[in-house]
Amino acid sequence: MTGSMGNLRSSASITLSAWNALFLREAVSRVSGRRAAWLWLLVEPAAHLTVLMVIFSTIRHRVMPGFDYALFLAIGILGYNLFRNSATRSMAAISANRALFAYRQVKPVDVVLVRAFLEGVIQLFVGLIMIAGMSLVGLEALPHDPLTVMLVFALFWLFGTGVGLMLSVGSTLIPEIGKMANLCFIPLYFVSGVLFSPAMVPPALRDWLLLNPVMQGLELARAAFSPSYHVVTGVDLYYLMAFAFASLFFGLAVHVRFARRLLMQ
Amino acid sequence: MIVVDDVHKRYQTEHGAGKWVLRGVSFNIQPRVSVGMVGRNGAGKSTLLRLVGGVDTPNRGRIERHCRVSWPMGFGGGLQGSLTGRQNAKFVSRIHGHELDIPDRLAYVADFSELGDAFDEPVKTYSSGMRSRLQFALSLAFDFDVYISDEVTAAGDASFRAKAAAAFKNLASHAGLIMVSHDEGTLKQFCSAGIWVHDGQAHWFDQIDDALRAYKESIAA
Repeated sequence: MTGSMGNLRSSASITLSAWNALFLREAVSRVSGRRAAWLWLLVEPAAHLTVLMVIFSTIRHRVMPGFDYALFLAIGILGYNLFRNSATRSMAAISANRALFAYRQVKPVDVVLVRAFLEGVIQLFVGLIMIAGMSLVGLEALPHDPLTVMLVFALFWLFGTGVGLMLSVGSTLIPEIGKMANLCFIPLYFVSGVLFSPAMVPPALRDWLLLNPVMQGLELARAAFSPSYHVVTGVDLYYLMAFAFASLFFGLAVHVRFARRLLMQ
Repeated sequence: MIVVDDVHKRYQTEHGAGKWVLRGVSFNIQPRVSVGMVGRNGAGKSTLLRLVGGVDTPNRGRIERHCRVSWPMGFGGGLQGSLTGRQNAKFVSRIHGHELDIPDRLAYVADFSELGDAFDEPVKTYSSGMRSRLQFALSLAFDFDVYISDEVTAAGDASFRAKAAAAFKNLASHAGLIMVSHDEGTLKQFCSAGIWVHDGQAHWFDQIDDALRAYKESIAA
């Protein structure tokens, strides 16, 4: 027996120490889990971007008025990845940390929130390195309105976290929901405008596409990078913001509602 | 002191709510009392331990812990397979608020568990004996008022069991113990009081011998 526990700790200090421990535990397995795991975090989006660049600018000679096409694609990939990874990584958080619920200090909502936070930190670094890399090779990769870029990316992250909170409960209680969600992220990639701008789409179809808050967010981020980028009407920052906060609210609400069911084995 | 008051518990199954495992369980555990829990397989002993340990919540009734209660040790719970023994030990230190004296805790766990180099290998490569040694060392590395043990003493080789027994004996002077075991000798060695879990009820006995007798009579009948 060594040391002493001191007095009973407050709820807030227990939660904070659980978050701290979970964050380090998640970061260790994410960054040093497999061989050069940290390298793959960078290689994956960079390879993604390279493949798309080869297809669209070399083979199909697509150009984007007022924009470097590489930067156009990079913003789409970074924004979409931030949203999708926050959602899918936190969706899997409960099953990946099942063993740790043996400690009553650790609650399901903790592991989901910590994973979403870690994913945000990782994607922030990936984004900064990619932007820096593109600037180094001579592209105009610095945003003219950095505050809006940061706001939009923060909303992507919050939206992904909210969706992840909801899906983590859904996929734990009904495993089919997790499988369906993973399927849905594939078509979502194509309708979110990672590869194209809504200005290139016929107006009738565009109105439908703009119902997707991810597409609206990508448009806002691109406009914040280049003042000459043409943003179609109907793109609104508050639309994405409403989705982000509504999903966070409902995500936390279902965690409260099903707190007991999630712990059952 | 731990208060268990009119606790009901049932689990959700694939086909809706399952059968009641516990139906109106009540007892109080005074400080520094060692309790052995007996009952048939599936009677609800582990469920009751999980509820007392705060891992799960009762459907009805309440459980109050007016002291520091350990997590239920046993069955390989609480260890993350992809992390090493050392990383798991750090994690447990942090959630228990021991960020600052992690080196001391790690030294204790490494020494007590006698895992050697395996302490830096992923837990999923451990044998079941090694896992329970790590779990046992982890729980002893922190001061609790009540330790909860689910068959954890049954694991390990003879020399480790002797060491574990000595550590448990040492605990009894300043902490309580709630243990499940199917080994009569273990229960008699460590426990003074007993709880017999039977038919959704928990019967309290001030003497472990009486609890064992009631349990044996129920099997014989």
